[in-house]
Amino acid sequence: MKRCILLVGANLRKAKGQSVAIFILILLCACMLNIWLILSMDYKQNLERSHEELNGEHVTLVVSRNDEAMKEQLISLLEEDERTADYTLSPIMEMVGQFQYNGGKVNAPLLFIDMADAMNRRIGQIEIVADSAYDSGIYLPLIYRSEELDIGKEIVLSIGSQEQTYTICGFFNSMMYGSHNCGMIAMVLTSDQYEKLAALGYAPGALLGSIRLLKADQGEDYATQLKTSVVRFDSTVRITGNHYAMVAQSRFISQMICAGVMSAMACFILVIALVVIIANIINYIQEHMKQLGTLKALGYTSAQLIQVLLLQFEGLCVVASLFGIALAYGVFPIFNEMMIAQTGIPYHIHFVWQPFLFTMLILGSAVALVVWYSARRIRHIAVITALRQGVTTHSFKRNYVSLAHTNVPLSFALALKTALTHRKYQVTVCITMMVLALVVVFSGLMLHNMILDQEPFLNLIVGESADSCININLSHEEALRNFLERDERVNKYYLYHSESISHVGGVDLVATLSDDFNDVNNRSVVFEGRYPRYDNEVAIAAKYANDQDLRIGDEITLALGDRKERYLITGLIQITNNLGKDCLMTRSGFERLRPLQNTSYYVNLDENVEIDAFHEEISGYFGREVNALINIRTTIASASSVYVMLMSGIVIAILVLSVLIITFVLYLLVKTLLNNKVQEYGVYKALGYTTRQLILQTALSFMPSVVLSLGLGLLVNAWLINPLVTIFLSGIGIVKCTFIVPHMFNCIAGLVIVLFTFGLICLMARRIKRITPKQLLVGE
Amino acid sequence: MKQILLETEKLSKSFSGEGVLQHVLRNIDLTLYQGDFTVIMGASGAGKSTLLYALSGMDTPTLGTIRYGNQVLSDLSIDALALFRRQVCGFVFQQIYLLDTMNVMDNVLAAGLLVSKDKKAVVKRAMKLFAAVGISKEAQRKFPTQLSGGEAQRVGIVRALINHPAILFADEPTGALNSKTGLDVLDTLSAFHRQGQSIVMVTHDLRSALRGNRILYLKDGVILGECELGTYTQEDAQRTQRLNQFLGEMGW
Amino acid sequence: MTTRRLMLVGVLIALLEIGTLWLYAQDSYTTAQDSVAVNELHHRIAQNWPILQDHEPIGELDYVVLDMQGHLLYQTRAGLSESIHAAIVHRDTILDVYAQDELVAKLIIDNDSGIQRQRQKEALLLGLGFMIFVQALVWCSAIFYLRQRILLPFQRLKEFAMRVAGGNLDVPLHMDRTNLFGAFTESFDLMRSELKQARLAEAKANAEKKELIAKLSHDMKTPIASIKATAEVGLALAPDAKRQEQLTGILAKADQMDALITNLFTASLEELNQLSVTPQDMDSMVLAQILKQCDYLKRAQIPELPQCIIYADPLRIRQVFDNLFTNSYKYADTSIHLDVHCDNQWLWITLEDEGGGVSAAELPFLTHQYQRGTNAAGIAGAGLGLYISTYLMKEMKGELLVENGKQGLRITVKIALSGSDLRNV
Repeated sequence: MKRCILLVGANLRKAKGQSVAIFILILLCACMLNIWLILSMDYKQNLERSHEELNGEHVTLVVSRNDEAMKEQLISLLEEDERTADYTLSPIMEMVGQFQYNGGKVNAPLLFIDMADAMNRRIGQIEIVADSAYDSGIYLPLIYRSEELDIGKEIVLSIGSQEQTYTICGFFNSMMYGSHNCGMIAMVLTSDQYEKLAALGYAPGALLGSIRLLKADQGEDYATQLKTSVVRFDSTVRITGNHYAMVAQSRFISQMICAGVMSAMACFILVIALVVIIANIINYIQEHMKQLGTLKALGYTSAQLIQVLLLQFEGLCVVASLFGIALAYGVFPIFNEMMIAQTGIPYHIHFVWQPFLFTMLILGSAVALVVWYSARRIRHIAVITALRQGVTTHSFKRNYVSLAHTNVPLSFALALKTALTHRKYQVTVCITMMVLALVVVFSGLMLHNMILDQEPFLNLIVGESADSCININLSHEEALRNFLERDERVNKYYLYHSESISHVGGVDLVATLSDDFNDVNNRSVVFEGRYPRYDNEVAIAAKYANDQDLRIGDEITLALGDRKERYLITGLIQITNNLGKDCLMTRSGFERLRPLQNTSYYVNLDENVEIDAFHEEISGYFGREVNALINIRTTIASASSVYVMLMSGIVIAILVLSVLIITFVLYLLVKTLLNNKVQEYGVYKALGYTTRQLILQTALSFMPSVVLSLGLGLLVNAWLINPLVTIFLSGIGIVKCTFIVPHMFNCIAGLVIVLFTFGLICLMARRIKRITPKQLLVGE
Repeated sequence: MKQILLETEKLSKSFSGEGVLQHVLRNIDLTLYQGDFTVIMGASGAGKSTLLYALSGMDTPTLGTIRYGNQVLSDLSIDALALFRRQVCGFVFQQIYLLDTMNVMDNVLAAGLLVSKDKKAVVKRAMKLFAAVGISKEAQRKFPTQLSGGEAQRVGIVRALINHPAILFADEPTGALNSKTGLDVLDTLSAFHRQGQSIVMVTHDLRSALRGNRILYLKDGVILGECELGTYTQEDAQRTQRLNQFLGEMGW
Repeated sequence: MTTRRLMLVGVLIALLEIGTLWLYAQDSYTTAQDSVAVNELHHRIAQNWPILQDHEPIGELDYVVLDMQGHLLYQTRAGLSESIHAAIVHRDTILDVYAQDELVAKLIIDNDSGIQRQRQKEALLLGLGFMIFVQALVWCSAIFYLRQRILLPFQRLKEFAMRVAGGNLDVPLHMDRTNLFGAFTESFDLMRSELKQARLAEAKANAEKKELIAKLSHDMKTPIASIKATAEVGLALAPDAKRQEQLTGILAKADQMDALITNLFTASLEELNQLSVTPQDMDSMVLAQILKQCDYLKRAQIPELPQCIIYADPLRIRQVFDNLFTNSYKYADTSIHLDVHCDNQWLWITLEDEGGGVSAAELPFLTHQYQRGTNAAGIAGAGLGLYISTYLMKEMKGELLVENGKQGLRITVKIALSGSDLRNV
């Protein structure tokens, strides 16, 4: 063992550059693995912890009626259900509202809660995480803390069609209504402001029920049943609600995306590190054939020699991993800040041992496996052969690119010769380039579909987008249609209305209705089958269909109140709005169950029409018949800016990282190649080849594999990227992505990489300058 | 009067290693003439190879000048030296140094195509040279590792001569060969010399030295003396004796 | 290794085939009707009621429409079930068509499962055929591979063995990297080269033996000395003339041998005087530097020195020039002309000032100990400078010449070029 350690030391000293490179690769890899694991393991737990700390509810229900009868009914309903563990009912005010955030508008049901009430709720407490001396104003969910919205600044809330201005006193953390992803947002008002608002009557009173269950995972069914029961009691109330699983998932989307990217990058780096290690070992064995033979002759066993290599790389790996994990904790605050901005849930950085263990285990075993695999060939070294410098390895038989018969210019021909004789290097180049191609295609895709043009991504996430959404009572629907028909600013209008509906034997679904789905803007929502056309047809969310084992052509029963009807599934859809609890149907199809009471119309306006002004006109014209006017553009902008920011960060990180990696790998390869070919270059120089020619030749020799593998990689990845991104986004209910692959970008990026690689190799190959023909003088 | 080919003035070469400055060549004034087969002899460590490499532009001298025509080699850049080497010099090495990733023909062409873009002419000349040194067509397709030492060295000579070099530099061309194949190689060199090829050869082998018409003796980095033998036609006793006598004087 | 790879390829191909077949099995044909298409057709027929002469077929299904009396209203092609009975026999789908809530027609949708099954069979046939073809291809290539990798190399091995048996040891046995029994051929080639090596080693051993004898003769000096001593003692104690003569003979011969051997040693070095001078090879550029430093009053225009290696002690040569420049400053105090040139043996450096020089009579004595010129009166000095300089130059195998020039005293320092002592000019 001691002798082994001696040899390890010697090996490490000899291959300093390579060891450093492997060290850094593993370090980066460990760092990312660790971040990924923390994000995916501890963040979710943090969510649960946070939920438990606040004694969080599993089901939230807001009923738009606040009187004793409703309260009693609710209490009896809750008490009767065996699954209820505990509950709290609070009187609040509720109204759909909106406010400016991040350059856009947040639009959601707002729950106005009295500060005193909010702090004293037994279940679903609200935790103030940032407070101030202001004693009259509003507290916002932590997620909305931004430059415009900060303590002491003012916020303008549109409550229904009225506006109200508040001073921001602080921020709170709440699980179930602390984010726009939860279906509702709590606004905590100081008692004086609460009473003032109540007196104004902008927001009608409501009952907020927070229910803890015995088993957290029953939330979905429980919520469905409770709603049905309440509607049965009073069919006129509006009910809003959510449940833990849904909230947890929706608040976790960003982490999942970030963690996914991290894991992917970690995998890439790991692959490259492993390839580098393999190349290193194979090269080591070839170069040290003689030494290894000598050691064998001295009585070292193959196992011992393999052990030396194992020890060397494992040691390197362990040290690098430790540093990497330390680095991970070093950079984690940055991620944490980003994540908190995303989730609005405070997270205290602390050492988590599972990610640590897993990181060490994954890296350790991967390296061990690879080292063992590539070092096995030591066993096949016969002592005598090795001492004779491994004659077997050096009898090439083919004369690639015969100079006598080719018309290729000399430099190219010689470069090709090198490329073909040193195929082992090319394999590493190819793998690196393939990985790089994937990175490029991914970045291009993100750039094109999320950053430059957000439409494709928004279509995927939001489902449908237009300029304006107008909700009007049924009595004035015809009038609105006429109005829109006449108005020249309106390009297109169509019914796009959502109603809740329940699937018998399943859960509540959000049904989106339209007269004719040929009118909608985003025609890619149905990705398999077709849109519903007739009144007995429905298209359901793919994720839900998968869970319920439903297929196109099956029939399902949908119910509303006591009415039930059967519908034929004609297509599968993907919208992430309601986390895959969606369906599409025609208006006539829905009206088989119940006539609509109000209708929402989506309107496409001319480019330069002020949407808000248009809204004012509408509300002036129709008055109180209009229930809601939503500026979809601004709403989406605020929701998407977060994603865009996140993705831009990720794309930049990925690009920087890939440049580093490519530099590393090329450095290693060029260095080994040059080391192995010192004599050959000497001879070339003696023959009168200039340094520039040789550098060019070296760089060119890498080009065939670079160009081929990059080209192939780009092609294959352009074809594979959508399915890959789908896997990546499958967590948020995406089943099939149809992002546009920017081929032009890919081509240009490919070209840039080829040129960059070429330049880089030229730069690295400048070491050739130091090789002089007189080095052939070895031992006069 | 012979035409001057290369001329050196106070040529010196020093190496520094481990803090010690070592002067391998000292103040060498040497003139090489067109058509000469100059042999540089001397004990090992006398600086023979260093002199050869300095003369041929493979290495730059520490001090002094080397003149080829109106070019001063010692002033040329590294790239210009490379050009000088490919246009003016041919090299034959002791270790032969054929590139073993390509076959014999390509080894020669890799040098030939560097100077001439006319591939047909280069291939034709290569064939002619191959014929002259007795390398069969079959052998031209072989790889260096498949050749015997003598064959490989003759290929080396072909490679050195492919660009019509003004000077052929040979560094112990028979050093790695056995005496029989060594003689073949020497005969090849003599044959080219008789056709007017200027050759500079470093050796410490007497039989090789006999082939030269001008023998220089190098000791401790200084040319100790020189001797004129006349053009070699065949090995005769008188020639051998003159050489022996000269070497005796030099303290061989 | 290669066999293992071969087996791996075989297993992979087998897995691939089984996988493909499995996929085929998974893709089981369902006899279910395309209910979505049927629903669309059903609705469209009802919407477009009544069916007119120019009715275009809807969708891709084959269907028949019968009125309530069982008359054929429309069929997409001939050969479909034209009555309810025929439809039942053919297991077709029969639907009622309502228009304005009134039952108006029967819609019969053709059961095409027979055709579907036929298609499936064809696909299976194609798949299996392809598999068998792949299989055959694999076998053919395996056989070809074996021929290339085993039979042919074996053939070559046989020829090689015959050649070795015939005594030709020069032709190596080449193997390519993919040779299946590379180690085997390798050991054959090893055998050949070992045989060849053994022969060479034998020849070398012979040569070394001769060398050893030559070396041993060198070592005989010590025994000769003891022979001499013994002979001398014997001579002193010799009882008779005959023995004396013999011993004298031995002694003479031993002396002769001793002298021969002693000749091999060089004479011991002369002892140095108090000034130790250790000349060495140095770059002329270093000298240029020294000259510049010595002329601290900048009286001289120091020309570029020719590139060469001189033989001098850097410390002492600096002492010499220091002395020369100081002398000139002291006695002449004018500008100094410096002239440098180089020949085969020397680097000549001439310094001349404008001080008028010294008288011809004094000239030879300037380089002597404690001698000073008459113009030295009133100037401090011991008269040792030039003497020491001359000595130092001599020690460095150079020379110092003093003469009167045109305008003043001219001193020429001749510095030896490195190797000039070896060169026979």
